[in-house]
Amino acid sequence: MRSTVTDLISILDGNTFVVSDGRGDIEESFDYPMGLFSFDTRFLSTWVLTLDGQRLGALSVNEENSYATTYFLVAGEPSHYVDAKISVQRQRVINGSFEETLSVRNHGTEAAEVTVRVEMAADFADLFEIKNAQRKQGTATADTSGGALRFVYRREKFHREVIITSSAEARVDARGMTFAIRIEPHGEWQTRLRAKARIIGANGRDFRESVPLGPDRPVPEIRDERRQFLESAPTLRCDSEALLLAYQRGIRDLAALRYESITLGMRLVAAGLPWFMTLFGRDSIFTCLQALPFIPGVVKPTIVMLAGLQGSRLDDFRDEEPGKILHELRYGELVGFEEQPHSPYYGSADSTPLFVVLLDEYERWTGDVDLVRRLEFPTRAALDWIDNYGNMLGTGYIYYKTRNPKTGLLNQCWKDSPDAISYHDGRLPCYPLATCELQGYAYDAKMRGARLAREVWDDPAYAERLEREAAELKQRFNRDFWIADRECYATALDRDGGHVDSLSSNMGHLLWSRIVDEVRAPAVARHLLGPALFSGWGVRTLATTEGRYNPIGYHVGTVWPFDNSIIAWGLARYGFRHEAGQIAAGIIDAARDFGGRLPEAFAGFPRDQTNYPVEYPTACSPQAWSAGAPLLLLRVLLGLRPHDGHLIIDPHVPEGLGRIELLDIPGRWGTIDALGRARDSVETGRLLSSRGLP
Amino acid sequence: MVLRGPVQGTLRIDLDVDHRTEHWLVTMTPGAVAVTRESAEADAVWKCELDLFADLVSGRSQSIAAVLRNEATVSGEVSLFLAFRRFFPEAPGARDPRTVGREALDGECDRP
Repeated sequence: MRSTVTDLISILDGNTFVVSDGRGDIEESFDYPMGLFSFDTRFLSTWVLTLDGQRLGALSVNEENSYATTYFLVAGEPSHYVDAKISVQRQRVINGSFEETLSVRNHGTEAAEVTVRVEMAADFADLFEIKNAQRKQGTATADTSGGALRFVYRREKFHREVIITSSAEARVDARGMTFAIRIEPHGEWQTRLRAKARIIGANGRDFRESVPLGPDRPVPEIRDERRQFLESAPTLRCDSEALLLAYQRGIRDLAALRYESITLGMRLVAAGLPWFMTLFGRDSIFTCLQALPFIPGVVKPTIVMLAGLQGSRLDDFRDEEPGKILHELRYGELVGFEEQPHSPYYGSADSTPLFVVLLDEYERWTGDVDLVRRLEFPTRAALDWIDNYGNMLGTGYIYYKTRNPKTGLLNQCWKDSPDAISYHDGRLPCYPLATCELQGYAYDAKMRGARLAREVWDDPAYAERLEREAAELKQRFNRDFWIADRECYATALDRDGGHVDSLSSNMGHLLWSRIVDEVRAPAVARHLLGPALFSGWGVRTLATTEGRYNPIGYHVGTVWPFDNSIIAWGLARYGFRHEAGQIAAGIIDAARDFGGRLPEAFAGFPRDQTNYPVEYPTACSPQAWSAGAPLLLLRVLLGLRPHDGHLIIDPHVPEGLGRIELLDIPGRWGTIDALGRARDSVETGRLLSSRGLP
Repeated sequence: MVLRGPVQGTLRIDLDVDHRTEHWLVTMTPGAVAVTRESAEADAVWKCELDLFADLVSGRSQSIAAVLRNEATVSGEVSLFLAFRRFFPEAPGARDPRTVGREALDGECDRP
């Protein structure tokens, strides 16, 4: 499998992960974070193996699965490999702790005496300190008593430590462990190194010792739990190898990205490696929407957690308001000492309406009315937020502007980089800003909230009010956001109510929310599939005709698989099945070139110019809502739609994708199979199957 | 105090002051909350120094950050504490986004 940054290798289990170079070494680096990380803290910043003082070179690396990797190494530079008498194998695994089994083998005919050393250090850097190259405030110490190496960090009551032990006897000093060993001809020496990261809470105990799932998980337990999780997902049988690969990779990555919540003892899905290994409101909601037909078990904990942490007060530092759903929750030192606002940070204008959308969609699939009943008040508070705090200019639209200019987010929509929202000529707008898709989400939230009010909360008056407000919003929106001469919706309204008149992918989300007037939908579809937005792989975030277009600009020209999955869903909702299929086919083709694992984003170059999707340099991978994209695309291709307790199946498979069978789709109907085929598919040949493959 | 939503259970608040601990028991039922000064078994326990709690109830400090820096601990049914958190008032000087929005209309442009 390809790594995001060519020679870096990552393994993870939940939000504990290791990033190292291609030979397994970890060295301090400020550009891309290498190390052992857990709960936003770096517990190992140096982990370098030498043989007689020499670094090693990699012969091969075997990435067995998301939580285990094996490196085969020899001493010296590649040109000397031919003569290597000694080889080293590093087998590492993440299982709550970090374990590395070092095997040194003597391939010569005489006994060998070698000095093996592992250089070790822990800087306890908060992820934000790595991003901003900040210095630490507390004190770090190293302790070598009792044959173990223990690094401790303290700042007031904040206490982190990592304890490194070795199964073979070691000479331990404050900077690592040394092994002077003798290996017989064709013999082997081995030690198991274990680094246990501890987050010390009350009474000197790791807080995770008191939560149901606990900090340590033996490998067989991880393996069994993973297998069960993977087996619970529907089986895909299809002709397309690319689709199969993307589906399997997606489910596997979502399994690996689940982590133990610090507060509720539930498994949530982290957003992505390496910067986003935590709970994000928006990312987790979109991921749940994508994954709901396949692995519904991940959805309920997310909804409960988001409701539990719903904003309850005004707090400028955290951009918090009553009723608002969080943007980002972090666990590190800088958040604890209130230097960063993520405890949680509420700076997103979309997670609140999207929360209502997810709850409704969840109930449609699962029939879990109990949860909807239980969450009536948080859901009403979220709906209220749309009309009060969200409506910050009193114009009936969700606007955003941070009240924390220092560490808050300038853009509080999914395109949250500072230059993401611009006019056609490239100028940047003044804030507050109302991006178009926020209004679509608000419309959808009201419509779905109305259904919940009528069918579950038994409040028809509230339902009618929400529907009336939604209808008014739709009318107003189609008047105020439509740019007649370009025949498209403005990306946003600026603070004066003027059009931020760029052509962008934001429009695609409007179809998904159904806020687009039927008569305008064809124009929107034409734009989305036109040459300025559609690269051949997918819809670009910003059209090539726009001032700020840059094919390798984070939100201003790259193609985001998650964005495209929502756009395809939207197109299908307005009957543009052919166009939805085009996008699905493009993204699935791109996935093939990424070994099945769709990155966060890839470059917006035209497909016929490069023939392969060009990687975006610092994209995060695996990323949850990219892993979820192939799942949602499958849903779109098969036309799956829950309706009145049943599942409607209305497939439309584009030519070239052959036959698709999705078996045992879980839901309130029990399980059900969905079959679809392209017009040009042929009957012959066995289908590939996701069941029973490694 | 009124508590919206079907939260049910007891939360004990242990406050360290000098060398002793004060115990408060918060009993939450749907629609109502009662507070008594007593030490009893509870579904969840919040523990911190009295000074920190004074900062929380005046909005000067934030509860989850306090847990993350280990100045406070919470054990048991964390959801009860998350519900109780709603009684903490707004941060001093916090502003309503609608005020901020109105002022921004006449203010300087804050484009990056």
